[in-house]
Amino acid sequence: MKPKVAFFDFAGCEGDELQVANLEEELLDLLDQVEVVSFREVMKEHSDNYDIAFVEGSCTRLQDEDRLKEIRKNAKYVVAIGSCATIGGINSLKNYQDLDDVRRTVYGDKANLFDTYAARPIDAVIPVDAYVYGCPITREEFLHVVKALLLGKKPDIPNYPVCVECKKNENVCAFERGQFCVGPVTRAGCNSCCVNEGTICWGCRGLVDNPNENSQKEVLIKYGLTVDDAINKFKLYFGWQERKR
Amino acid sequence: MENKNFDVEVHHVTRVEGHGNIYVNVRNGTVERCEWNISEAPRFFEAMVLGRKWSELHHITSRICGICSIGHTLASLEATEAAMGIKISEQDLKLRKIALHAENMQSHLLHVGFLVLPDLMGVGSVIPLASSNPDEVKTVLRLHRLANEMSDMLCGRTTHPQRLLPGGFSKIPTMKELSGLRERLKASVPDLQAAAKLFQSLAPKIPDFVRETEFISLTKPDEYALYDGKIASTDTDSAPASEYLSYTNEYIVPQSTAKRAKHVRDSYMVGALARLNNNYDLLSPLAKSVAKMFNLKPVCHNPFMNSIAQLVEVVHSVEDSIRLINELEAAGLKSQPDYNNPKIKVKAGRGVGAVEVPRGILFHDYTYNEKGVCTKANCVIPTNQNHGNIELDMKALVPKIIDKKPKEIELTLEMLARAYDPCISCSTHAVKVHFV
Amino acid sequence: MRIISKEDFNKFVNSLIKDDSLNVIGVKAKGNKFAFGQLESAGELRLDYDVTLLPPKKYFFPQRETLVTYNVANGFFAKDPADFKPTILLGVHPYDIVALLHMDEIFRETKSDPYYFEKRKASIIIGVNIQNMSKWCFAPYMGCATVDYGYDLMLTDLGNRYAINVGSQKGEALLEKYAKNVSDALARDIQLVGQKKREIMNMSQQKFNFDTELIPELLSKSYEKSSFWEKHAEACLACGSCVLVCPTCYCFDVKENPDLSLKEGERIRTWDGCLLEDFAKIASGENFRPTRPTRYRHRYFKKGKYLFDRFGFISCVGCGRCSSNCLPDIANPVNLFNDMYNEVTNTGEQVAPVAQPDVSIETEGNINYVPKLATIVKKVPMSYHETLFEIKLDDGSNLNHKPGQFVQVSVFGVGEAPISVSSSPTKKGTFEICVRKIGSLTTKLHTLNKGDKIGIRGPFGNGFDTEFLKGKDILFVAGGLGIAPLRSMLNYVLDKRADYGRVTLLYGCKEPREQLFGDEMAALEKREDVDYKPSVDWCPENELWAGNIGVITTLIPQVNFDPETTYAIVVGPPIMYKFVIADLKKRNVPDDHIIVSLERRMKCGVGKCGHCQINQIYVCKDGPVFNYSKIKGVPEAL
Repeated sequence: MKPKVAFFDFAGCEGDELQVANLEEELLDLLDQVEVVSFREVMKEHSDNYDIAFVEGSCTRLQDEDRLKEIRKNAKYVVAIGSCATIGGINSLKNYQDLDDVRRTVYGDKANLFDTYAARPIDAVIPVDAYVYGCPITREEFLHVVKALLLGKKPDIPNYPVCVECKKNENVCAFERGQFCVGPVTRAGCNSCCVNEGTICWGCRGLVDNPNENSQKEVLIKYGLTVDDAINKFKLYFGWQERKR
Repeated sequence: MENKNFDVEVHHVTRVEGHGNIYVNVRNGTVERCEWNISEAPRFFEAMVLGRKWSELHHITSRICGICSIGHTLASLEATEAAMGIKISEQDLKLRKIALHAENMQSHLLHVGFLVLPDLMGVGSVIPLASSNPDEVKTVLRLHRLANEMSDMLCGRTTHPQRLLPGGFSKIPTMKELSGLRERLKASVPDLQAAAKLFQSLAPKIPDFVRETEFISLTKPDEYALYDGKIASTDTDSAPASEYLSYTNEYIVPQSTAKRAKHVRDSYMVGALARLNNNYDLLSPLAKSVAKMFNLKPVCHNPFMNSIAQLVEVVHSVEDSIRLINELEAAGLKSQPDYNNPKIKVKAGRGVGAVEVPRGILFHDYTYNEKGVCTKANCVIPTNQNHGNIELDMKALVPKIIDKKPKEIELTLEMLARAYDPCISCSTHAVKVHFV
Repeated sequence: MRIISKEDFNKFVNSLIKDDSLNVIGVKAKGNKFAFGQLESAGELRLDYDVTLLPPKKYFFPQRETLVTYNVANGFFAKDPADFKPTILLGVHPYDIVALLHMDEIFRETKSDPYYFEKRKASIIIGVNIQNMSKWCFAPYMGCATVDYGYDLMLTDLGNRYAINVGSQKGEALLEKYAKNVSDALARDIQLVGQKKREIMNMSQQKFNFDTELIPELLSKSYEKSSFWEKHAEACLACGSCVLVCPTCYCFDVKENPDLSLKEGERIRTWDGCLLEDFAKIASGENFRPTRPTRYRHRYFKKGKYLFDRFGFISCVGCGRCSSNCLPDIANPVNLFNDMYNEVTNTGEQVAPVAQPDVSIETEGNINYVPKLATIVKKVPMSYHETLFEIKLDDGSNLNHKPGQFVQVSVFGVGEAPISVSSSPTKKGTFEICVRKIGSLTTKLHTLNKGDKIGIRGPFGNGFDTEFLKGKDILFVAGGLGIAPLRSMLNYVLDKRADYGRVTLLYGCKEPREQLFGDEMAALEKREDVDYKPSVDWCPENELWAGNIGVITTLIPQVNFDPETTYAIVVGPPIMYKFVIADLKKRNVPDDHIIVSLERRMKCGVGKCGHCQINQIYVCKDGPVFNYSKIKGVPEAL
């Protein structure tokens, strides 16, 4: 009996679900192993009878919490996919601003029609069984987690920094090129893809379990960043994780 | 007809990006309520970028959309570059255009292949088609994969492309890679023709509905405008992109978290159909021949034909990419250092970027202070500009199909929403404009 | 020595590149740095480089490498090594050549790694003397700035020409086949090369304040100085950069990669690093090196002391890659050792170089990475989270293990884990393992049933010394799951009862429902030739328990034994050892009469991957059975 899977999205850009569609021919192989019973972007049918729920996007409103709790009730396994669902993602940038100001900036005097609270990952609302990090997720890691669930084993997600992958890929370190990178405190698993493409790591996969944040900030300052800029770098993706520490 | 009483309520329309609802109430044959209503959680991007540096904005705004990432990134870069007077090289310009073609192809193929095709074939999704019509599905997947690999080659990846930077690229493909791509594009023509023939056979299923409206898109004298150009309208003269506010005139409706736009009529349409209506003559030869298969020519006022216009654009993007690669080869592809990081002279200023993303014309408008920090931002998303038109189309369509069964009416209204290829999550943030 | 003009040298390189049967790798520019990469033309070669990002070891011990492929229908297979083109490595600096010689010895100690050596054999090393030295390099201090051996050809830049030292027949043949206009060196060339080598010795911008041969001794005196290590490791990001770019590091992890059908897949080894947080963590969550200072210290000890004691070399060639890649700048061995020297000598202590150890590298065959297919013939639940599996090897052979040895158990799609053998080798035809459900592999194993297939590698480890213990009294002390490996020895002794003296078994569990092998324990109770004493830490109200209640040490006073003739075999959770050993010593049991068995994270089982290392000891190879007298001085052991 193939396990039933469902996809849900909250406040996000749907880029992670697109990566599932981007499996191309492998999508057909995936459909040999699982039965998709709900995937609003792609199909009309919907069922509340599913074993695995993939959730993309952050929770940014009180009313989203009810929807999340319903999903948790229906599913055996809940998997958060993408930065927004796993760590709060880029949405958490607005948490640093006064949320009333934010609403007024965007909706003017109609601001109170649109409720919002601090953007948060879904595990702030419901227990989550597995995580696929990244902005966007990679197809390889998504499939790795699917295979792990099918095999009944815990997914093997790294707890070491991106530097490990960057060194294996023989990149020239961003700091050696006059740029600033948060790879040393960011969770690996992306194969240092952004540095491979010639830039830096922005931290989209979130902090490792025990980052040495002080050391990283000092490194940024030692190489020439101002204190404010170093702190700002941490706000881009680590907003929710930093608040919790 | 007079005693027709029914309600249509579609929560979270399927096979569209983002969350939209349709509400129709008919009493005694009269349409009392017909609403296209957005319930998507707002994300407040224009507030999020305030206080962030010029070097970060494209990274942040790329996250507005996972499907039109390349488009948002390019519009963002154009705005930053316009604000600071940065010029990019001819070579980088061509490479960016190829990247945009890749996105157009990827998004349109996903839309017509995965989201619209099931309606025309009478099924709920592409998944059963994988067993019943494997060849057709594999054709779409092959073309979709080509588009994605093209994005990977030009930008690093389709969603949130890393290589696109203010002033240029962190890394560019080699001529060898571009030649290989050119061969693959040429070899994809049979697949394109097969896809066109498939849709031609399904053309009778496309509703024949016409409501006159205004069409707005970019335009250029010498090419089918996607990357840049002036703003064109089927109703008025064109104007520079910096004057976009006089076209968009955004306003809020209480039932919807997304704003709406209007120009000279109560609403207007953007997207592939709008582009085709404004720039038909500049389509590539093969694209024109595909348009002819469907008798599609300007000015077409049937919104359902937007999907066919998208198919035509896929063909155009393939042909035009080949042209661009030929031009790059003829000029000789100049190499650049590994880990390129264009040097930018930061200064205060305001700039507008206007790009045609798959769903329509997109504007990014940024203001920077002398330190290169963003103090104001405005993004006008194509789907925002379509919401008004969608609702008015629905209001005109319902009386015409009022005799059908409610389930059929529901399906037709959903198909109408889908035809616009809305990207709702992008559209749910709008800015009350108060520029001086 | 020979001479070739630069022009002819370029032609030589181009003719190598033209030959499709060869893989020509050379040093090229990468960004503002250098790296070894495929050469498309001689013009790309940068023999004037200072240091490459990664050492040439990546060609012999790649970042990722498939070791084994599998198929649930047919079992496990070695990855066919044959598809490796002969490779020319152009431009290797002497320190990297010496590093490869280190790696050669490490990879053939005890058992040889076939994947590494098939690549080594198929390659040709063309070295080049250093022209520009990186500011972090201290190779002259490590005796690695120049080298007389380990290359096929060695180049020295003499301006408009290269001097070539031929180091092997392979090198000679290469010149003959591809190079033209190679002449014999003149006397002036030989002198020039000699001068250049002298200059290289003085190029280093790093400075040791003492003779580097003191390093092993300095380290011995510094293990316990926690504040020293904490100070130096405070800014450590645990990013692993220092070890990943190191030419003499070789720790690796092994991961399973099933394909989407779950019917087949591959087992991959990939570079790992002891600085990373979870390097020494096991499935139960216990981490044997949880803090940054302890991991940071381990790296220096491995390089400067443990490998010195085993192989006689300080496993650092002074390339400076670790220093240059460390963002908080704490990885420079020069700074660390200079500081250590000050700290040690400031106390007035004298430091003398320690004698070179006796080294002999013996190789008995290749490492086997490929599991044998085996079948579960019986599955007996023992407790709520432990199950006994009886296993038969599909090829019909006996495991032929020694009591105390372990096997590496493979479960399709999940991976491999070390589990001790719980049955005695006197039981033929099948063997038993008692498995607690705790991590991915053991959990999946618990879902398998009679008839299902698994993979077995081994047996590994040293096992209990059944011969030596003949005639002695044996006191078995089993804590919890420790009964599983102990049972292999206990049953062996019972099967050969007449060969051994008094036999006592103390078996302690947390509570009655955790007791394993209940039937066998009941049978032991009835035996007159065994003194069996069970205990539980506590007993819930609704359960019956007639035996002792209290921690296992409460049983020791209840036993009469003669410390002169008695040997204690103690196996249990890490926390138990300290207390049991203390109580045994109170009864005057000599240190060398106490035998323990330890567990650690293991991936290879043969002392290569580095995970099971406790200070200088490899648990998988030197253990898991240890005489307490040998490890009581090993800080990380108990």
